Amino acid sequence: MAAFDTGWMERWQALVNQDSVTKIIGRHLTTDVLLAFGETAYVVSFVGGTIPKVSSDIGPESTYTFALRGPAETWAKFIQPVPPPMYNDIWAMAHPLHGRLQIEGDVKVMWQNLRAFTWTLDLMRNVQE
Amino acid sequence: MANIEPITGHYVRVPYAGEDYRVFYEEAGQGVPLVCLHTAGTDTREWRHQLCDADINSDFRVIALDLPRHGKSIPPTGWWKEEYKLTAQFYSEFLMAFCQELELDNPVIMGSSMGGNICLHLARQFSSALRALIAIEACDYSPGWWLDWLWNPQVHGGEACATSVYGLMSPQSPEEYRRETWWYYSQSGPGIFKGDLYFYSVDHDFREMAENLPGDIPIYFMTGVYDFACTPEMTEKTAKKVKNSECIIMEEIGHFPMCENPVTFKKYLMPVLAKILQTS
Repeated sequence: MAAFDTGWMERWQALVNQDSVTKIIGRHLTTDVLLAFGETAYVVSFVGGTIPKVSSDIGPESTYTFALRGPAETWAKFIQPVPPPMYNDIWAMAHPLHGRLQIEGDVKVMWQNLRAFTWTLDLMRNVQE
Repeated sequence: MANIEPITGHYVRVPYAGEDYRVFYEEAGQGVPLVCLHTAGTDTREWRHQLCDADINSDFRVIALDLPRHGKSIPPTGWWKEEYKLTAQFYSEFLMAFCQELELDNPVIMGSSMGGNICLHLARQFSSALRALIAIEACDYSPGWWLDWLWNPQVHGGEACATSVYGLMSPQSPEEYRRETWWYYSQSGPGIFKGDLYFYSVDHDFREMAENLPGDIPIYFMTGVYDFACTPEMTEKTAKKVKNSECIIMEEIGHFPMCENPVTFKKYLMPVLAKILQTS
C-alpha cells in the first residue's frame, strides 16, 4: 500500500482518532477539509477533534471549508520522519516565498484551529507504509 | 543550596521621543556588553540559555531587554488608541537610547529574526557607537509575514501566532525547547506579533542599501537551514553585499537558534564571540 491511498488514509484516520492530545486541543475542530495529494484527493471530516469520515468520492457535490493542495512529491517530503528544510510544515510549504502548497477556501477556520489541525497532519509521519 | 540562576532582572527608564519608557531587562556576567534582542512578539526569555552560560557570561556582560509592549516592558501612554506598527526608525533609535541609559561602552548587538534584521539599520546609522553585530536569521528583505490572521478577534491570537512559527524550527531541535518557544509566542499582547512583523516584512527593505553599509564594524550573519522565512540562500545573498561580514549557515537549526536549540547554536556562536574578543 502506498502513501496517500485509501488504506494509508484509513491508518492516519485511526491514528488521529486514537490520539489523546488531539482530543484535548481539538475539541473545537469541527469542519470538512479537502486534502489533495497530487491527483488524489479526500474530504476529511473533523468532528470535535476526531475524524469520523474520510471520503475519496470527490465530485460536483463535494463540500468542504478549506483545501490544501500540493504535489504528492511535496507531501511525501512532509511526511518523512525527519522532513527536509522547507517541507516540515504546511505554512513553510505554502508561504509565498516557496509556494509548494496551495491553501484555499475559508482559511479563517484553519487559522482558528491551526494548532489542532497541524497536530493531526504531523501524525501522518507515524502512519505505517 | 537553592539552584538560583545568575540572571538578575531590572527596570530602567528610557527617555525617547518625549516618552518615559519603563523597560525591563535581564543581565548576567561581566565584560564586553552583549545586548541580545528577542524575536517578534516575544521577550527576553528567549535568551535564558546564553544568559546563564558561564562560557559566555565570563567574558561578556549579557543583557537582554524587553522592547516596549513586550514581556514586562509596558506600552507607552495612549497605546489603546493606535495600531501598533514597529518601524526601523523607532527600533534602532530606541535600542541606542537604551544602550545610552545603561552607559554601555561600544556594545555588541546580537539579535534574531527582526532582531537580526535591525542589525543592518544599526550598521548604517550607529556603527561608530557599536563594537560588532551578530545578525541571526537576518537578510535584506523578508516578506510575507504581515498577516491579518495574526490579529483577528475571531482567531485565538496566542495559538495562531505560536503555531504559525512552530514550523520555523528544526525537527532536530529538542521538542522541549521548541514547545517552550511556542509557549513564549502564545503570550504576547493582541496585535504585537503582527505589529512587529510590520517592521520584519514591510518597513525593513534593505535590498538597495546593503551594499552601501560603511563596513567599519564586523557583521556576523548566522542562519539555520530550517528557516523558511529567511532561508540560508537569502542570508548568503545579503551577506555578499555587506562589507566586513561573515556568513555562517547552521545545520539542525531553524529560526530561533538561541532558544530552540541552544546546545547546537553554542557550537556556532562561540567562535564568533572569540573573534569579537580578539579584536576588542
